[in-house]
Amino acid sequence: MTGIFRLQRRTELSARTGLGGRRLSALSLALLGSALALGGCGGPDPEQLPVNLSQGVPLGAVLAMSGNANVYGQDQNTGLSLALAELNGKGGINGKPLALKIEDSGSDEPGANAAFTLQINRGVLALIGPTLSQQAFSADPIAQRRRVPVVAPSNTATGIPEIGHFISRVSAQSSVIAPLSIARALQLNPGIRRAAVFYAQDDAYSSAETTIFQQALTAKGLKPVTVQRTQLNDQDFQTQITAALQQKPDLVVLSLQAVDGGNMIRQLRELGYKGAIVVGNGMNTPNIYPICQKYCDGILIAQAYSPELKSPANSAFLRRFQASQGGAIPPQLTAQAWTALQVLAEALQRLDRRQSLQQRNLAEARQALMAEILSGTYQTPLGEIRFTPEGEVIQKNFFVAQVRMDPSGKSGRFALLP
Amino acid sequence: MDLIQLLLNGLSLGAVYALFALGYTLVFSVLGVINFSHGAVFTLGAYFTYLLIGGQAGANGLLAGLQLPFALPFALALPLAGLASALVALLIERVAFRPLRRRGADSLLALISSLGAGVILVNLIQLLMGAESYAIPIGTLGALPAALSLGGAQVRTVQVLLLAISVLLLVVLSVWLEGSRSGKALQAVSEDPVTAQLLGIDSDAMIRLAFGISGFLAGVSGGLVGLSVSIAGPYFGISYGLKALGVLVLGGLGSVPGAMLGGLIIGLAEAFVPAAWSGWKDAVAYGFLFLILVLRPQGLLGKPQATKV
Amino acid sequence: MSAGLLQQMLIGALLGLSVYLPLRCGQLSLATPGFFAIGGTVAALLSTRIPAFAGTGATSPLPALLLEMGLGGLLAALLAWAIGGTVLRLRGIYLAIATIALVEILRVITLNLPFTGGALGIFGIPQPFATASGYAGFTLVLLALVCWLCARLEQLRLGRAMAAIRDDELAATCVGIDTAAVKLNAFVLSALLAGLTGALAAHFLNSWNAKVGSFDASITTLAFVVFGGSRTWLGPVIGGLVLTALPELLRPVGDLRLIVFGLVILLGPVLFPQGLITPQALQGLGHGLVGLGQQLRGYGHQLLERANGPRRP
Repeated sequence: MTGIFRLQRRTELSARTGLGGRRLSALSLALLGSALALGGCGGPDPEQLPVNLSQGVPLGAVLAMSGNANVYGQDQNTGLSLALAELNGKGGINGKPLALKIEDSGSDEPGANAAFTLQINRGVLALIGPTLSQQAFSADPIAQRRRVPVVAPSNTATGIPEIGHFISRVSAQSSVIAPLSIARALQLNPGIRRAAVFYAQDDAYSSAETTIFQQALTAKGLKPVTVQRTQLNDQDFQTQITAALQQKPDLVVLSLQAVDGGNMIRQLRELGYKGAIVVGNGMNTPNIYPICQKYCDGILIAQAYSPELKSPANSAFLRRFQASQGGAIPPQLTAQAWTALQVLAEALQRLDRRQSLQQRNLAEARQALMAEILSGTYQTPLGEIRFTPEGEVIQKNFFVAQVRMDPSGKSGRFALLP
Repeated sequence: MDLIQLLLNGLSLGAVYALFALGYTLVFSVLGVINFSHGAVFTLGAYFTYLLIGGQAGANGLLAGLQLPFALPFALALPLAGLASALVALLIERVAFRPLRRRGADSLLALISSLGAGVILVNLIQLLMGAESYAIPIGTLGALPAALSLGGAQVRTVQVLLLAISVLLLVVLSVWLEGSRSGKALQAVSEDPVTAQLLGIDSDAMIRLAFGISGFLAGVSGGLVGLSVSIAGPYFGISYGLKALGVLVLGGLGSVPGAMLGGLIIGLAEAFVPAAWSGWKDAVAYGFLFLILVLRPQGLLGKPQATKV
Repeated sequence: MSAGLLQQMLIGALLGLSVYLPLRCGQLSLATPGFFAIGGTVAALLSTRIPAFAGTGATSPLPALLLEMGLGGLLAALLAWAIGGTVLRLRGIYLAIATIALVEILRVITLNLPFTGGALGIFGIPQPFATASGYAGFTLVLLALVCWLCARLEQLRLGRAMAAIRDDELAATCVGIDTAAVKLNAFVLSALLAGLTGALAAHFLNSWNAKVGSFDASITTLAFVVFGGSRTWLGPVIGGLVLTALPELLRPVGDLRLIVFGLVILLGPVLFPQGLITPQALQGLGHGLVGLGQQLRGYGHQLLERANGPRRP
């Protein structure tokens, strides 16, 4: 009280000097007061209440739909929407529809954290996301602490499932995929002697994958003759390319995101590089066709998803995708997002058959769902997958494809190499 | 690596920076304000060009599958895209700049309001055209070879073209600024708007003119850069914004030839970073900028300036 | 609103204040995200590499956090002090660009250092608080303290000298103010604040990478100040709180979310050229508080009278 009294006496003085220190201190005391008030929130713990199924079976996804990773979020959004239509068309979770809420995380960590928290507070049973590995390292610990299962559709960095028991992924790491394409390139061109490596230094996926590529090359006795670094924002690679071409490479290995990679291939060919090109998993999307156009032809790519895989699950996915996107070929990210939702749905179906979801409280259901996810085997567009006890994906099929562009140079396909 | 190749690499990088910076610097020279929406107008120009030459919108925006009923040749589409971008720049001037100028507000405010205009444009593009990238077909330049060889050094033809066009634009702009009545009026407004008004120059009209030209240049450079690299989604032009800001300051804020020079110097500085150190490329470019600022704050070709922000 | 969002908003407010301090004496420094990144990197390194900082319990010890904040702030302040003399000779936009260049250089260095985790950064940072509310409570206390210091500063000789330089640097020199020293002080204080905020943010975000200190962040933090108002310390606080919360609060708008956000950033300066909080508005608020105080006093007397009533003979 006395503070306020004194405040009043000083008003005239403060008005003269502009800003009254003490009055402002009182304001900051008010801030402090709200800090103390913050501790006193209460109410029943929603996690001890039954799962809220009134809108359907609650699931959440957090995708980078804005910011500079927006194109990945867009591809994933397509996959989730199609999978949702497919799964609910088949009766959802034993008759109860899936209710999937998709939130934008932007392309940064605070955005991912906010979206994760929002979804968890909504009472979702499990989360799909976030898009970027950096975001996963920031947001996944929140889900782990709140004991909410996460299925990551696109994080490929080392150490994601190790964040905790509740974190799993359907996106295989570069370490298992990348070496395959190197082996295949050497099989096709046994004469290869000099490899040049390019990667985006400020990109988590690229810098992780290039390490694997370089190890695989060295293991084959092909220590890279040059390693060139780019930045995510770069679009003109003439400096790196001319430096690399001086070393007369006969194999170029790229770990770049789709847009940079497409530009890189075009510029390599325009500047006269004629040898083989092997690209990483990040370019497994038809989004590269309009970028490198006719120059895409012949590049070798390691794939965690092949549009050419013949299986009932992939046919169902392709049918949905082509109906909605007009005959196009799905990107790997779209297939992986579909797979993540499929995994969750199948695990939920098993769980619900064992004991109805209605009879469990939220915390129990989440815990049981995680165990169920890890114990299953799934027939997905990616082929057959299951999980290690840590939540790392075990994928049966990986592929090496060669891009074949049609004569117009506008579209093409990823032809599987036998 | 030999020197010619390094020079060509630097000029190739620098041509794009210079192209971006020309329109950027024009608004600054008149208003003394950084227009943060310039990158978004640049992006818009690239999208306009793409649509005008008969490109089709992808499947993810509100305009999914849209294709104009006609397909213009690139040489015609580019200036039209420039004009459309100029209209957008005028709209931005009307909404984000003029109300502030009327009140004589701190120019820091226009920096933020133009940032808001940029955010709106980028997200509008995403809403309409999706996040995917687009590309102008590779054969657009006709039968020109993909790369030129100069004493054993290689350079992509399209980069040479970009450099040539940016030099041409610089010359046209300089001749207009120095030689024409309206150009001189614009200079007068940039020197001292009040005196210019007293001399009977309609400074509002001049500022609109500057924004129009700046928007036109942004749109045209967006389309041209789209010829060289893919139009990498709604953030295409934004990614140049930061480096272009460095380019402006390096050359001397508000100096049109300075923007050109600054662009080429930053390009060269990056190209001269040895391959083993290519991860430090940006640090070299910004370190160089930092050094120039400390040694010669008004930039290479700039006049010492009072406290404009 | 979740405590996590509140925490993010409070960090925004602290960063807004860090940009505000140099601006208070007319210096447009955009180096805040760079110093923020330094503080975070220090905290991330210490708490993941040195077992004592992580502790053995469920949460890492609070003194370790305070030490990291101190060290992070100190390192940032040292850097600011070392380069301040050189960069602060620049004015206006030139200073802004030089500080942006500094942020970029720091980003590239962090990216290339062998021990900062490259593009992926440092992750698995231990948690000093078990819940987001714990963070938010701690940060509120910190913000209140910083606000109180800022309010005090405006009363002190340094604060008045800062204001004088902003209004007219030449005149300030004439009345004997050592403008270079005052500007350096403000710059160092700004770095200190950004550094210690970074140390706190690194824990809250669980992971830390070079991307944190970027051009985008520079502009965003500047928007906090311009939007909120740059004439009193409450402006950047409100600006930081509002602009950090807005994208989250706009989620119901769906696809139009960022378009509306852009519209707010565009219209904010147009409609409120002085920012949301002006000294005049604050004056009004102050009077409001005084009025409230008088009312409270009135109630107090009534209560007292009632309480004492029966005892009266």
